[in-house]
Amino acid sequence: MNAAHDELRHDAAAYALDALEPAERAAFEAHLGSCAECAADVRQMRLAASALPHTVPQVSPPPSLRARILRQMSAAPDASTPAPAVVVREKRGLPAWLPIAAMLVIGAGVSFYAQRMQARVANLETQLRQAQAQVAAAERQTLEARNVAFRAQSAMGVFAAPDVARIDLAGQPVAVSARARALWSRQRGMVFTVTNLPALPPGRVYQVWVVTAQAPVSAGLLTPDASGGGSVYFETPVDILPPVAVAVTLEPAGGVPAPTGAAYLVGKPSPL
Amino acid sequence: MVIWLFAAIVGFPGRSSESQAEDQRSLQHAAAGDSGGLAALYDRHGRAVYSLALRILGDEGDAEEVTQDVFSQAWRRASQYDDSRGTVAAWLLVMARTRAIDRVRARRVRPEGRVQDDAGLTLQQLPSTNPDVASEMMAAERGQRVRRALDELPFLQRVAIELAYFEGLSQREIAERLEQPLGTVKTRMRLGLMKLRDALVEVQP
Repeated sequence: MNAAHDELRHDAAAYALDALEPAERAAFEAHLGSCAECAADVRQMRLAASALPHTVPQVSPPPSLRARILRQMSAAPDASTPAPAVVVREKRGLPAWLPIAAMLVIGAGVSFYAQRMQARVANLETQLRQAQAQVAAAERQTLEARNVAFRAQSAMGVFAAPDVARIDLAGQPVAVSARARALWSRQRGMVFTVTNLPALPPGRVYQVWVVTAQAPVSAGLLTPDASGGGSVYFETPVDILPPVAVAVTLEPAGGVPAPTGAAYLVGKPSPL
Repeated sequence: MVIWLFAAIVGFPGRSSESQAEDQRSLQHAAAGDSGGLAALYDRHGRAVYSLALRILGDEGDAEEVTQDVFSQAWRRASQYDDSRGTVAAWLLVMARTRAIDRVRARRVRPEGRVQDDAGLTLQQLPSTNPDVASEMMAAERGQRVRRALDELPFLQRVAIELAYFEGLSQREIAERLEQPLGTVKTRMRLGLMKLRDALVEVQP
């Protein structure tokens, strides 16, 4: 049991994250039943893992989804939906003098009433404009959240892409100690990370290039951090050719449409 | 069997917060065929379920299908929900994650096929064992704090956790993808989760 424990206790995190292969999972579960230490460990790991759904950008589903879900339930044969209660109002007889009194009141108050109505309409129009502005703002926020979700998904998705290829970049004579790696997926884009780039001269920026058989395509600008590190996520255009190389050059601030400056890093694809 | 041994050892707390009690009532109503119960559950948790599915699948149509499936299962299989294992909210989110990952894995078409049985929750799919903390986590502010804790993790720890949870890769596959020894990946996952747990404990009242 102790030998098994020493070997299996490191699997608690992967178990809580559902990252064990079936055989590993079976072995871990068998051990878990008899090991209080691992069971307590799993409990802690699972507590942390249960928070992960709450870290994703919160996006509202379309309102039609709610209706679909509820319709599906009421369409099911074994679901008995209670009929909506029908409110029946008792009809009461009106006093005979009321129409006359009402006419008098209306006649006397009609101009006052018209003024009130105008003010009310103006007020409602203001509220409508405010509501429209709020709706527009909410739509912008939703769109923004979707973009954040999409980008997070895409960048992480490159690692998991079935067609991922690795491109290691070597530092050129101007930056011998710089190293970089690009993970390229035609479907999901490119993640590029670099270390040890020299500090930028004023008015300059590093530019990352995907070199294809046709032409170099800019994959983005890079301003390294204090240690010369940085990363770029590049969303692959649909019509791009496979990369023959990835390179980093020094360019004027703002970037350029085609490389003009010295190459700092260059690398060619190798199978992953 | 393992589940019960595990439950006995860990000693699941049976407490439940106010929102959890409300969720349980809604679930019972939904199971009895009251669409109002389902509507209440959806209104409280539909957004979180949809957002998780969207994050995993990256496709709005697929995320809607998973969300529809989760809430359909919620009232059809309400009897399978066991409040000693976690909150209703955590149960819904585990169903969402499992269904979304099944789709991701099916897309990836791996020969060994880890697509899991749909029929019930296995031990490893159980939600948090602490209903109070899990339900407290529903608050948006806490979600943000955990998000920050996740963002602050060293790159390898964060990537390893996200590849496992959101992409459905196994620890061996993650080790291959990141070109790290398996032992390193295990350690990184553990350290990362410990830090997230610490962030959770910090935000508890």
